[in-house]
Amino acid sequence: MAWIAENRRDPQVKTSDTPYLTDALKAVLRDRYFPRYPTKRAVLLPALHLIQHTYDWIPTQALQEVAEFLEIAPAEALDTATFYEEYWLKPKGKYLIGVCRSLACELCQSAKLTDTVRRKLGIEVGQTTTDGRFTLIEMECLGSCGSAPVALTNEVLQENLTPEKLEKLIDSLPADPHDFKDPGITWPEDDKH
Amino acid sequence: MELPELHQIAEKERASQKPIRLRICVAAGCQSSGSLAVKKKLEDTVKEAGLSDKVQVVGVGCLKMCSQGPLVQADPTQTLYAKVDETQAAGLVGAVNGGHCHCATVDPNDPFLAHQFSIVLENSGLIDPERIESYIAAEGYEGLYHVLREKTPTEIVETVIKSGLRGRGGAGYPTGLKWALVAKMQSPRKFVVCNADEGDPGAFMDRSVLESDPHRILEGMAIAGYAIGATQGYIYVRGEYPLAIKRLQGAIRQAKRLGMLGGHIFESPFDFNIDLRIGAGAFVCGEETALMASIEGRRGQPRPRPPFPAESGLWGQPTLINNVETFANIPTLIRKGADWFSAIGTEKSKGTKVFALAGKITNTGLIEVPMGTTLRRIVEEMGGGVENGGTVKAVQTGGPSGGCIPADKLDTPVDYESLAAIGSIMGSGGMIVMDQSTNMVDVARFFMEFCMDESCGKCAPCRAGTVQMYRLLSKIREGRGTQQDIDMLNGLCDLLRNTSLCGLGQTAPNPTLSTLRYFRHEYEQLLTDSTVNGQLPKHPANTT
Ligand SMILES: Cc1cc2nc3c(=O)[nH]c(=O)nc-3n(C[C@H](O)[C@H](O)[C@H](O)COP(=O)(O)O)c2cc1C
Ligand code: FES
Repeated sequence: MAWIAENRRDPQVKTSDTPYLTDALKAVLRDRYFPRYPTKRAVLLPALHLIQHTYDWIPTQALQEVAEFLEIAPAEALDTATFYEEYWLKPKGKYLIGVCRSLACELCQSAKLTDTVRRKLGIEVGQTTTDGRFTLIEMECLGSCGSAPVALTNEVLQENLTPEKLEKLIDSLPADPHDFKDPGITWPEDDKH
Repeated sequence: MELPELHQIAEKERASQKPIRLRICVAAGCQSSGSLAVKKKLEDTVKEAGLSDKVQVVGVGCLKMCSQGPLVQADPTQTLYAKVDETQAAGLVGAVNGGHCHCATVDPNDPFLAHQFSIVLENSGLIDPERIESYIAAEGYEGLYHVLREKTPTEIVETVIKSGLRGRGGAGYPTGLKWALVAKMQSPRKFVVCNADEGDPGAFMDRSVLESDPHRILEGMAIAGYAIGATQGYIYVRGEYPLAIKRLQGAIRQAKRLGMLGGHIFESPFDFNIDLRIGAGAFVCGEETALMASIEGRRGQPRPRPPFPAESGLWGQPTLINNVETFANIPTLIRKGADWFSAIGTEKSKGTKVFALAGKITNTGLIEVPMGTTLRRIVEEMGGGVENGGTVKAVQTGGPSGGCIPADKLDTPVDYESLAAIGSIMGSGGMIVMDQSTNMVDVARFFMEFCMDESCGKCAPCRAGTVQMYRLLSKIREGRGTQQDIDMLNGLCDLLRNTSLCGLGQTAPNPTLSTLRYFRHEYEQLLTDSTVNGQLPKHPANTT
């Protein structure tokens, strides 16, 4: 529920001297995203995506830095960031396991998948394992209802899942999540950037 | 680029094709059943057998029959092989080269395939979605060329009006009229937006188009841009569709490289750029005003209309916003003409519609049929009915804004008006089939929970109303409800429908209303007034 206000009074906002929004990231925003929009504010969502992509979540300090860079009030950045469910304002695990809980998947027993992860990793929906490796969430329809039940593991869609397949998948995930890619995405060399 | 150059690319592409082609589906559905490994094996087998000059293996988009994957189709025979696994690769390569194999094939006369009529999906499963040349070889971008070089913007708008095309995003607003509205606005900057935020549970048509034929969307948007006088387009795509995002990014890059996007497209004065905008997990951003707020970098909350986006959209400028499937119709419509298009479908609903079949149905997957096809044909003939020989209880169309259609209404033709008349909507095209084991109060509660979670919270009827309705539905489902609760539920349905700010709240009651209308007995069976300690009483009202 996007409109539920969470208590965010955090007595210690952790700050660090090195900025999250590094010069390199600023350059990406400036060169790639500023030309696309008539206002800087419009770059807020891409900027948050970029921060999350780089650090896996969006620390408060990063939010402040982004706000400053885009010349908007920090409160406006927070207001927008809290609205969207995909932004993590708390750390999440290296692997985000999102089980689809929408109707078609539910009809095909998606609840068993969630239970499997719960049991296997000892976490509830919304929680992260203590080693920081996995976070379990439930997601709305992933647009693969024809091959229900499905789950999204980071950026890779897993279809026609069974509890056994999901367990096997979790066991086989590489140590570094950057090594975990959708095998179906290939690009000819000249298209990489 | 001039036409001969475009043709040259197409020629070169066709010439590079080997006489025998094995098209293997690498769209999401088949990938999950192992199509990539099969593809690799096929490639290796071709190489080892020394057939590289003759046989070619290509990865293509969705071959539609997702329940039978991995699918491989052979050219030129068009044989469709189903459930191909690695061990069959050698046999399959042998078979297309004159031999024999025991691979399962799909009968081309199977109703699932035979009743399809492809416009939006015409290239799906035929072309390689990652290569622009493959799209060009299928006459891609030719429509855009002729539009830019030979037609005036007004002519294009008139063609679209004449075709009778209506928006495929749910509401069915006539596309040509919308284009005309934006075209006549005087403004130095206008925008074209493609709504690819597909979020209705049960809907996956747009995702499949984006993954299987991304250039079609770019071409459709560029034609729209020319018709209304815009130079910038945005595609707002869900963050949950990583493969679609990557395919679109690649397609935009390739189109820019070849000059189908950018400055002076096809040596005309027309400039047009498209950028991708990635959503962040909010269903309500599919609503057009919320979507625009999100592009502007704000919370995705809707605002009252008017003003409509056509008058005051992105940054206050006139903005054309259409759905993926709407844009996907444009290149073919332009190439083949308004008369050709308007001959398909019914009097008020022209063309085809893509439906996503899911739930308890034998053949899940994508189908594209002419408007006016009956639900019975779609569910029973094409979809093969309920899996394992069960019977259909209801079909849910239109997601959280739609309704549940009972089995005895399956002879209804699918068009905008007929579906509305029986309390559902065409919606974006999701169809979830439910069998006798499904409890309809559960279904109503499921969709109410969805609306409650996804309500943006801006207006009170939707914010508070969905919560109250969800509680009432839960109470009834858990056997604690009374007749009064059903009355209250009905009252809330009216309230939300009439007073909510945007479509989300206005249509949130639909699944509840339609289940109350057709399956009221399932609610009543659960009421406390009709149970004593959970036992059905001998009370006259409950003997029916
Ligand atoms: C809550 C809500 C969600 C919507 N989601 C979508 C969507 O995911 N995709 C879409 O094309 N239209 C969606 N719409 C409809 C859009 O507001 C808009 O009518 C549509 O994009 C217009 O395109 P069309 O004329 O081509 O149908 C949604 C509407 C509402 C109220
Ligand atoms: S319901 Fe799970 S992917 Fe659509």
